[in-house]
Amino acid sequence: MNAVVAGITYRAVLGRRRVLLLILLPLVLLGLAVLLRAVGSTDERAVVTLMQVYAIGTMLPLLGLIAGTGTIAPEIDDGTIMHLLSKPISRPVIAVTKFAVSASLLAVFAAVPTFVAGYLLLRGEAGIAAGFALGALIGGIAYSAVFLLLGVITRHAVTIGVVYAVVWESLVGGLVPGARNFSIQQWAQTFAGQLTSTDFFKPTVTMGFAVPAVLIVTIGAVVWAGQRLRVLSLTGDE
Amino acid sequence: MSEAVPAPAPAQPIGVIHDIGYRHYEGARLGRGHAFAALTLHSLRGVFGLGRTARAKIMPFVLFGVMMLPAAVSIAAMALIQRQAMTYPSYAVVMQPVLAVFLAAQSPYLVAPDLRFRVLPLYLSRPIATADYVAAKLAAMAAALFLLIAVPLTTLYIGELLVDLPGPPHSGEYFAALATSVVFAVLLACAGVALASFTPRRGLGVAAVIAVYLLASAISGVLVGVFESISRDEAAAWAWLINPFFLVDAVQVWLFGTPPNNDGGYPPGVGGPVAAAGVLAIIALSVAALLLRYRKAASS
Repeated sequence: MNAVVAGITYRAVLGRRRVLLLILLPLVLLGLAVLLRAVGSTDERAVVTLMQVYAIGTMLPLLGLIAGTGTIAPEIDDGTIMHLLSKPISRPVIAVTKFAVSASLLAVFAAVPTFVAGYLLLRGEAGIAAGFALGALIGGIAYSAVFLLLGVITRHAVTIGVVYAVVWESLVGGLVPGARNFSIQQWAQTFAGQLTSTDFFKPTVTMGFAVPAVLIVTIGAVVWAGQRLRVLSLTGDE
Repeated sequence: MSEAVPAPAPAQPIGVIHDIGYRHYEGARLGRGHAFAALTLHSLRGVFGLGRTARAKIMPFVLFGVMMLPAAVSIAAMALIQRQAMTYPSYAVVMQPVLAVFLAAQSPYLVAPDLRFRVLPLYLSRPIATADYVAAKLAAMAAALFLLIAVPLTTLYIGELLVDLPGPPHSGEYFAALATSVVFAVLLACAGVALASFTPRRGLGVAAVIAVYLLASAISGVLVGVFESISRDEAAAWAWLINPFFLVDAVQVWLFGTPPNNDGGYPPGVGGPVAAAGVLAIIALSVAALLLRYRKAASS
């Protein structure tokens, strides 16, 4: 961890138009929660739908994409990453710092609003608010690591990330049950399931698979990103 | 160098004019229409990665291949079990994630590099106005999306004619779907290019376009689920229209009387005209935003 690098990264992510998207997505979640409250459907089933479809299924991967790639991809795109890499800071430390920044942003912009939306609708009922907030937190950590790695590996990180989030997790995961084992969303739901006690929510992946999967993916992606940064070349296409 | 060593002034000037062979362009000036057509064609080729690196071709052609898959499967199903696996009006609605990814991945390419490298004044020094530039980019994206929908539809139709199913061919449905694909293409192109033009960064542009699509589809999905669970079916029917693909589908249902492609249908009566008005409003808003954006960008 390097405080100066972290500070610069925070400024880069929060100081541009990127922050508009980071704010818009949780605002819509809170708006939907208020709307559900207004139409009087505050039963567990409606809230679980909101959490599964919107909070975990849409908002979390998008925020992960924006924050995860946003911490490093623009710098690589500009070539300004060279100023950072030429300083006597080890490259794995840079990768870990960028990952920590992205994960903390996701905790603020994804996990906290998820909890607030759940609490707004159900208070503490059935542990839904706390459960999905935990799921969003863990999922956010895993997404941060994966999208950071993508940002280091390829110039088309956002496009590939979109294909993963939309096509793999939604389409393939919806049609092929086995593919759900390899989806960060499903792991996040497994963690959410640990704290919830409602009949309307059954995670499909077991805890015994999700815990090692999250650990391996997160640590592996951050370490690999650090290694890739050591051999980064800026010969770009286009 | 000559100042460093004070030498006596030469008796006569030593300057030489070299003939470097500069020539004026004497050919015909093809004018604004031709420049517009050239920019449109260049942009359209670029959307599919033609004339760009091999890596830029992967994404559009993979997505094009995915769009063709249901047509191939459906032709096979018609030949083997004499049944349509995919109807024409449902094609674009079923394949909406693929179209959305294509739009998100390719529309920033059209606008972001020109903004980022500030080359807009170079375009505008030719007989092209700001509006022409915007129209060319929109036309290119709309044409690309139209190809992406119409080619599989037409393949499917040719397949149906060749397989010769019992009963008359679904020509009416085919032409309805083809007309609707024009609406899809124009709506998606306007919205996608307008969103992408607000940032000079390609990555953020991709994220912005896909975020808006996923937002719309998730909001629509959540509201439909909730309204149906408390049996307010009419509100649920309206909530479908938040997703742009179902919005266009509602227009298709209204104009051509095709069966709706969602569960539960669209609001009856005014639903169709309202959906059509919504489509036109989104197009008008996007074009206005683009023109404003480029008026500012052209002067910078």
